[in-house]
Amino acid sequence: MSNVLRPYLAAVRSTLTAALTLENFSSQVVERHNKPEVEVGGSKEVLLNPLTISRNENERVLIEPSVNSIRLSIKIKQADEIERILCHKFTRFMMQRAESFIVLRRKPVKGYDISFLITNTQTETMLKHKIVDFIIQFMEDVDREISEMKLSLNARARTVAESYLIAFNP
Amino acid sequence: MEVNFRKIDIDAYDEDVLLETELYDADPRAPSQVIEETKAKAVAVRSSLNKGDITGALVTILDNPPYGPGVDEAKNLTLQTLVTVLNSTKSSDIPNVVKSLPLESQDILMKYLYKGMAMPGWGDVSGSVLLGWHEKLTEVAGTGSIVRAMTDRRLV
Repeated sequence: MSNVLRPYLAAVRSTLTAALTLENFSSQVVERHNKPEVEVGGSKEVLLNPLTISRNENERVLIEPSVNSIRLSIKIKQADEIERILCHKFTRFMMQRAESFIVLRRKPVKGYDISFLITNTQTETMLKHKIVDFIIQFMEDVDREISEMKLSLNARARTVAESYLIAFNP
Repeated sequence: MEVNFRKIDIDAYDEDVLLETELYDADPRAPSQVIEETKAKAVAVRSSLNKGDITGALVTILDNPPYGPGVDEAKNLTLQTLVTVLNSTKSSDIPNVVKSLPLESQDILMKYLYKGMAMPGWGDVSGSVLLGWHEKLTEVAGTGSIVRAMTDRRLV
């Protein structure tokens, strides 16, 4: 892990650990229903203050806690047009397979690239620190993944251009 | 057929509906008094900073911070003053400063760190400085302080 990224991930880790104190909570409106309160947003008393952790304008994490669920949204660093496209494709690929990731949300929250929704059922069936580790690991990997894809895309473009233009330079 | 009536939020007209103001005790001070106090604190902080007393400056600015609606000017001034203090502290001094803060100030500092991070690029707010402080503060005050920042409705 690079040294500049460490305090950022440490802050996300501690905030997420603090936010992942969830308990079973049935809907106050509909009997026998049990919904993630952060998504319903129906009553003020079960929603806690949303917290933002940011390195700069382009890299930030929003954590919205509630009594039985939390929503964590990530804005991934996108320096240029290529990174923006790659990031869009990459997150879209995963969000279409959201059920395999269990905690992934199918749509990102507005203004962010990818969102996770963690409910009390998931913290009860899975180990809490492993969920935190998974999110942190994801954040570490996604930056690396995108810059690797960008490099290989550029290399490929260069090879294609070279082999195409060689015809004009016999 | 008129169907717009279905979109009316009837819960808002319920007699035991929970209002925003019932979630916390309102600030007893008047808005004009709050801004006066904040301005006085900003001056006091500047003089403490000139003396090199960072702990004193932090305790001053974090004492009785403005909260609730209608005091945006005081809130911004407090954040601005706090950010100057945070930015002018050497990173090697942070652990000792944080340790010497009283518990209440630590919690309020945590709230302001999150507030600062929520508005990157505002004034002199710098993400890396705030993250450095956040790390040291979490080491000293633990995740409990973060939970208190999350659950306290008296938003700074």
